[in-house]
Amino acid sequence: MFSTIWSQYKATLTVFLVLLVIVVLEVLQVRAAIYPSLLPAFEWLKNSTPLGYIGTTYGSIYATVQAMHLLAMGTLGGLVLTTDLRLLGVMFRNTPSEVISNGTHKAFKVALIAAVLTGIFCVAGVADKVYYMPVFWVKMLALAVGAAFVFLVKQPLLNSKPHSEINPWIIRGMAITSILVWFTVAASGRWIGFS
Amino acid sequence: MINELLLQFGQWMEAQQYSQMLVAGYYSYSWLEATHVLTLMVSIGSLFIIDFRMLGWILPNVSASTIADRLHKPMMIGFAIMFITGFLLVYAKPVETIQSLWFRIKMVLLVLAFINAWIFNAKMKAADGNWDNDSVAPRNLRVGAILSLVLWCGVVTMGRYIPYDWVDCDKTQNSTILWAAGCVDQLKAL
Repeated sequence: MFSTIWSQYKATLTVFLVLLVIVVLEVLQVRAAIYPSLLPAFEWLKNSTPLGYIGTTYGSIYATVQAMHLLAMGTLGGLVLTTDLRLLGVMFRNTPSEVISNGTHKAFKVALIAAVLTGIFCVAGVADKVYYMPVFWVKMLALAVGAAFVFLVKQPLLNSKPHSEINPWIIRGMAITSILVWFTVAASGRWIGFS
Repeated sequence: MINELLLQFGQWMEAQQYSQMLVAGYYSYSWLEATHVLTLMVSIGSLFIIDFRMLGWILPNVSASTIADRLHKPMMIGFAIMFITGFLLVYAKPVETIQSLWFRIKMVLLVLAFINAWIFNAKMKAADGNWDNDSVAPRNLRVGAILSLVLWCGVVTMGRYIPYDWVDCDKTQNSTILWAAGCVDQLKAL
């Protein structure tokens, strides 16, 4: 019986378990205990890695990678908006939503990888600074939620059956959630620059 | 001559009450900057999808004209917001921005990007629709798409460089850079 339920609702149960683990970690104050132990890793990233060395020594390279990060985030945002606005029925109404969501997903993955790689470089140069910024952790959390949402919930559901067979309110809810999560990632990223 | 005129124009703007208000209000400037950058997702995001489609990298089974038509409106809204916020950012710090080498290169690239977009649109309208459903656009449109990607990457990169002070007027003695950045007083002092 359990295996039947698991095979049918794998993604949903995975997300539920992840959320449950987060709640348990929070209640048991495990996160608060882990947090200070991450500081050496951030200091190592800045002081002992080539990324940290380049980021702190060559300002022009750091700024160029920042621009690449912006471009990756801009592309990612455009792909998210195109897909989600189609799912909401705002644009591309004459094109099946399956075509748009499948057609943009590969580029989304490339943009996400580019954003993460350039983001790691950007963090390396100022790792000991961002560690103390709450807004940096908001961005990391939003990024983890966004990636988990796309790969564990949104895409599996959209690929599971024709979109016409999925409850339209679930599709709309997913699209709005996706826009809000990725907007949070971008906005908190922008706010790191102000902090 | 042009540099002197631009500097005078910048100084005139800087003397305006609203310009000073934008800088004095910490959050007003930050909000403008945040809106300017976040709108990239709408403007550049839409533009890059159109360019990627022309190159056959994305949505090859959707006609190129459908992609271009549907994304044109959000792209233009995005660019309109970027221009308004961009103008206000310059208005808030006019002298500093006008004498930034990166800002000047950004403006040149911006003009080139718009000329390229105009030519691209003209070529797209002139081409017969036979290629519309092909996964890759004709060569002349692909060249336009690559130019568009390169120019806008340059615009964003120059925009990112503006806050850095490597070649600010008081940081360099190179007369060519001082002239290109419009550092009138520093050039006279050389």
